[in-house]
Amino acid sequence: MQAIFKREFLSYFRTPVGYVAMAIFTFISGFIFYTQFASGYVSISQEIITLRALFIVIVPIITMSMFAEDRRRGTEILYYTSPIEMFSVVAGKFLAAMALYFVMFINVFIHMIVVKACGGTVDAGVIGSILVFFFLAALFISIGLLASVLTDNMIISAIVAFLFILVTQLLSVIGNYCGTAVSTIMSYMGIAASTRTAANNAVSGFIGWFDPFTKTEDFSLGLFSVSALVFCISFALFFLYLSFRILEKKRWSQK
Amino acid sequence: MIEIKNLVKHYGDKKAVNDISFTVKDNEILGFLGPNGAGKTTTMNIITGYLSSTSGSVKINGHDILEEPALAKKDIGYLPEQPPLYLDMTVDEYLKFICDLKQVPAKERKEHISQIMDMVGISVVSGRLIGNLSKGYKQRVGLAQALVGDPPILILDEPTVGLDPNQIIGIRKLIKQLSKNHSIIVSSHILSEIQEIADRVVIINHGKVAAVDTIMDLSQRLSGTSKILMSFNGPAKDVSARLKMIPGIADVSIRNPGVPGEVEITLAPKAGNDVRANAFFMMAKSGWPILEFRSLNPSLEEVFLSITAG
Repeated sequence: MQAIFKREFLSYFRTPVGYVAMAIFTFISGFIFYTQFASGYVSISQEIITLRALFIVIVPIITMSMFAEDRRRGTEILYYTSPIEMFSVVAGKFLAAMALYFVMFINVFIHMIVVKACGGTVDAGVIGSILVFFFLAALFISIGLLASVLTDNMIISAIVAFLFILVTQLLSVIGNYCGTAVSTIMSYMGIAASTRTAANNAVSGFIGWFDPFTKTEDFSLGLFSVSALVFCISFALFFLYLSFRILEKKRWSQK
Repeated sequence: MIEIKNLVKHYGDKKAVNDISFTVKDNEILGFLGPNGAGKTTTMNIITGYLSSTSGSVKINGHDILEEPALAKKDIGYLPEQPPLYLDMTVDEYLKFICDLKQVPAKERKEHISQIMDMVGISVVSGRLIGNLSKGYKQRVGLAQALVGDPPILILDEPTVGLDPNQIIGIRKLIKQLSKNHSIIVSSHILSEIQEIADRVVIINHGKVAAVDTIMDLSQRLSGTSKILMSFNGPAKDVSARLKMIPGIADVSIRNPGVPGEVEITLAPKAGNDVRANAFFMMAKSGWPILEFRSLNPSLEEVFLSITAG
């Protein structure tokens, strides 16, 4: 796993991928911090929450080539024919992307030092926001990695990851729409209002349950919840395991 | 040692590999031949663990590739048809990465990599990006990665593709040298290359083993007993009559060489008879100088064409 991690992490800096991702992250975080600083009120938690919106752009960029490129270049044969476990390949690539996120995040740590130096506070809400940021990063990187396993084409991989993350970010909205839609259909069928409301709540509640943003929104207030972190890490592990199984299955492919 | 038993691989309805069985002994070079699409690459991919077979088994030094993959793969070095190279790495970085993958102990790496680079002749490009190398160098870097970890079994798919004639000779010598303590499967479309280096050949056609033998035995099997061509100066009919009297010769036929004063005949010995010495002494005694005397075994190319035709 260490070998894969090292190769993948360094490969971000041998190609424009790492630099592009870092440039986007640094520019946006710098812009947010500068704007806040100029207004006289700086909230690192708010900066981190805003930076979460970049997952949809940065994660597809850094994950699109993970397996798709190996397959295109024929280098995946190295992993299948070496005496290493395929899961360690998946884990190595995942951790390399996480490490790149950590490197990008150094910019925010510098902002925290500036805030502290200027007499500001770095409270539990900031720590909570950082925790959530990395747990969400783990979740979305695992989704991007799965997208890269599913296709040989980097562009398709990026689009699939983008759509997955977009849907995840809009789960609350999607839940509300679906609940309303079910309620509307039921009203055409002449079902009682109380039942329609219950169905609406059930559908929107069910879909909304999968929304990691709602689950972790209290962290920025300093209110930590282990279950929310377990939720993120469980789904991340699920997507990594799914990727591993798909890679193993390709060995048995009859196409 | 590699033991392949009843290997079958389906791709949908098509059987890419159909009940293939053969073994590769220790310190043996096995030529693996077949027309395009015969199932060579699929078989090699199964042997190395890249693909799984539909049925059958592959044992590498006694370890089943599916049941004990880590132990089996540790003993294999594989150079696929397209060398698995990271173009964004230097040769040195790449080989270090392969050492990591193959779990070569850290303290041995530097010397091990240096030895391999000298062996395949890539020391001069060790610091260069693989993406900037010529095709020949890339091929040799691919061969170098197969040698990392000193696996006792090497599987080389077209190892000399893209190399110039001098490099081809160098790689052939290296393969020969490696066969002293490695079992090697070599697939190549250059049949003269296989003829030169392989101890035995396996020819597959339409996913099935069409022949497994030494090249000599294959060609003899194809032509019955090996025929002999002899050209000489002398009276054709007399020579023919005298040769027919030698025990063990089944037939003598006169050929027209088109060179004045020279006669060419073909001797067909009876099965299991070596008539060369008797024929030579008879000609010498009669004062008919022999100008050429050689076996008419079919070449590997002829054997290959005969076995894979149709």
